[in-house]
Amino acid sequence: MLALLLVLALSPEALPTGAVLPTVSAAPAAAPTADTILRRADRAVLGENATYTLQMTVVRPGKPDRVVEMKGWKKGDSLGLVRYTAPAKERGTAYLRNAGNTWLYLPSGEKVVRVGAKQNFGGGDFSNADIFRLSLINDYVPTLVGEEPLEGQPCYKLELKAKDRSVAYDRVVYWVRSDGTFYPVRAEYYTISGRRMKWLTLAEIGRLGSRARPTRLTMESALEQGSRTVLRFLAITDDVKLDDRMFTPSALERGE
Amino acid sequence: MNPLVSIAFRNLLRARRRNLLSGGTMALGTAALVLGGGLSDGIARQLTASLIAVQTGHLQVVVRQADFEPQNSPFDAYGQALIPDSAALAARIVAGAGGAGVRRAVPFLHGRGTAIAGNRSSLATVVGILPQEEVELRAAHPADAGAFLPLDDPLATYVAAPIARKLRLGIGDTVSFVIQTPQGAVNSVDAVVCGIFRKGAPWYDTTFYLPLATAQALFDHPGAATNIKMTLADGSSAAARDARPVVAAIVGQPPGLEPDERARVETFEEAGRFSFSIIQANQTALAVLSGFLFLAAAVGIVNSMLMSVHERTREIGTVRALGMRRAMVVRLFILEGLALGMVAAATGIAVGAAGVLYYGARGIPMDTMTLAWVAGGDHLFPVLTVTNVARAALAIAGLSTAAAVYPAITASRLEPREALHHI
Repeated sequence: MLALLLVLALSPEALPTGAVLPTVSAAPAAAPTADTILRRADRAVLGENATYTLQMTVVRPGKPDRVVEMKGWKKGDSLGLVRYTAPAKERGTAYLRNAGNTWLYLPSGEKVVRVGAKQNFGGGDFSNADIFRLSLINDYVPTLVGEEPLEGQPCYKLELKAKDRSVAYDRVVYWVRSDGTFYPVRAEYYTISGRRMKWLTLAEIGRLGSRARPTRLTMESALEQGSRTVLRFLAITDDVKLDDRMFTPSALERGE
Repeated sequence: MNPLVSIAFRNLLRARRRNLLSGGTMALGTAALVLGGGLSDGIARQLTASLIAVQTGHLQVVVRQADFEPQNSPFDAYGQALIPDSAALAARIVAGAGGAGVRRAVPFLHGRGTAIAGNRSSLATVVGILPQEEVELRAAHPADAGAFLPLDDPLATYVAAPIARKLRLGIGDTVSFVIQTPQGAVNSVDAVVCGIFRKGAPWYDTTFYLPLATAQALFDHPGAATNIKMTLADGSSAAARDARPVVAAIVGQPPGLEPDERARVETFEEAGRFSFSIIQANQTALAVLSGFLFLAAAVGIVNSMLMSVHERTREIGTVRALGMRRAMVVRLFILEGLALGMVAAATGIAVGAAGVLYYGARGIPMDTMTLAWVAGGDHLFPVLTVTNVARAALAIAGLSTAAAVYPAITASRLEPREALHHI
């Protein structure tokens, strides 16, 4: 039985959807380094290579919710592609991330245009960089500042400092579950002037694909009260083989 | 008075109705020319004054990419890259180019971002200025409510009326600015509205003025500016062109620029191509309209004078039989044309000038976006200039005289014998 608990604690993906993870480890161990926590958290939602289906809901006070469904492909830390699949009037719209550049394809214009990484993704509160920022470890230097419970879960609290001034947010405060799952729970993004601009909440741990993971990501802005954007993963397939050629602007235009 | 001139004026009264119609047409043409010129001059003055006061000064320093191509937009004048240590450079320019007529050199920082107030947000133009130095800007953007930026409040903002309306901002309200710095990071600052300025040219509709140091902190570049605008003792184009090489020698290539960036010194005419292309388009349109107006007036005058020749055939035969030479007949008819032109020009100038002065005092509302872009503001104030009035008067009088030549020659060719038989 103990052996089984240990296996489960070390391999949370082995759990069935909705299962509650054990919060007591078998033996006290030294806290992992900030780098390790961040690297593990970076891979908690999507693995190295993955395909996924996503529903995005943009909530604006006084306006009807806008719901968009999309399919995404991710390869490593530098290649990403997202295509809208619904509603019908937006089907075909696509975003591509390749080696630091982001392109947008609008089927109505039949043209690929380069867009800024910090621009809003699909009119929501996520920026293109948020969607395609495949790992925080590349942009930030983490410091473990302590442990504190959040959303009823024991968490590591990390302070992430931007490696340079080209990174969108100068500082991020990041809570990652300390129960061995390394699921990110919350991230708060701060400007150079120290203002908290927006925060991301990761919730609804569920089994998608081969393992359990947070499936609902909610981004809220401190400056637009009541506005939020919810990303809900509907399906994820990890460890898929993807061809680099699908992550090019010409492939984007051809709809491949 | 020359007896022939006296006869010419008297003859005008002999065919009052016809000359009233011809003269009235010319008077209306003159009035239209004066009004059109007043509108064109008003647009030119508004655009140039606003350009110099708000954007370029008489001469400006900017940093541009080596491959910079102007887009013929009102924002072409703003620098695309930052001038490091702008205050020191401005001080060096004033100290070194005083002899070339440079009286003031003022750095400012222009950028774009998002302004957020409550649940409303809008794209915003953020301009960091030195309030104590911006005398002309303050006059160009007078306050509708509140006051211009105070000297001692780093978190005050002076807002254009259209964006204040859009974000429902009033005096004392807080607005947040969120921008992306030139390096890529996101930054923000809160400011309190100290004043709301009257709507001017539509391209200033989204402007927020902030103290320069606050804008520099917001864009994460202390000491930097996008432009240094200079005021010259003599604000003419020639003076700006003369001062340019002196300033360029002082500016050189400031340290800290990227390899593909160049510091450039531009006169207001070079920097404000957009405004001057509007001015040129207006002047061309006015010239074309004037051409058609002249043509119509000329046909009217020729017709009127030919009628006069026809009606006075017997009279011409009589004076020719009494010994009046052909040249004298020509001169008489030409003088009649000139007299008609002078009376029409005087009347037209009086009507046109009254119109220009009336609208110059009240302004003509430019209610649509297109009109506001063409006029460089939501009201157009026509201007009455001596040059414009003299040009209209000379044009109509000259046209009237020239149009009389053909009827005069026709009259002079009448044979006395045949003319006397004319019924």
